[in-house]
Amino acid sequence: MNFITNPDLYYTPIGVWGHKRNYMKLILAMIRIAKMHETKLALSDAGLPSFTAMQVTGRGKGNGDFDKPESADPELRTLISDIPRLKSKRMITLVVTDEKKDLAVDTIIKANQTGKSGDGKIFVLEAYDSIRVRTGEMGEITLD
Amino acid sequence: MYLLRAIVRPEKSTIVMKALFESGFPAVTKLAVFGRGKQRGIKVGNVTYDELPKDLLMIVIPEKDKDFVIETIMDSARTGDKGQFGDGKIFVTKVDESYTISSGKKE
Repeated sequence: MNFITNPDLYYTPIGVWGHKRNYMKLILAMIRIAKMHETKLALSDAGLPSFTAMQVTGRGKGNGDFDKPESADPELRTLISDIPRLKSKRMITLVVTDEKKDLAVDTIIKANQTGKSGDGKIFVLEAYDSIRVRTGEMGEITLD
Repeated sequence: MYLLRAIVRPEKSTIVMKALFESGFPAVTKLAVFGRGKQRGIKVGNVTYDELPKDLLMIVIPEKDKDFVIETIMDSARTGDKGQFGDGKIFVTKVDESYTISSGKKE
């Protein structure tokens, strides 16, 4: 195996050659706006205070979104699209080490679960590197 | 699973989302973003606009549907037959895991 062509062989978390690296994880969670405060508290309590939030709109499978107003004029109702409308959501983005991934996912699920549709989704992606701009440090040290 | 991040013209995002819905991919997240591309923005006279408004559509899809969804987005987001500068880009990232919050289940 050539370690020059395969970065997995030389970027090892414990410094041993030939081990696959456990990359940091980027967690994207689309949640309800009303649950933002609870999520912030829950994440701080779990020791993951840093995250970024964005205002997004979106839709899911669209099962619960076909609420055409019944009282509307029949002619006007035909103008309303059958496609589910976009709902306002918050998207939170956080980067965690591989060991803390399950903790972060469980914390977000616990804080946001109401059991109804529209609670949101969580996606876990690999984050290949992380840089602290102030000092130029790289790697997992920037997440502490 | 793959995460597609499609940067499209704001006036095209409704058309793209309609095309996705009709081909069976209703779930999408939309963000308003600003950016420039390879052409370094638009130059009108002496003024350069390099923060052009675009819409960022985020779609997570299973591996087998990747090419079909990319094709659908490209066909619906293209301006005219040949396409124009500023029609946008699609970036594809791997997704390791996905959870539904209401059921707490991993997919």
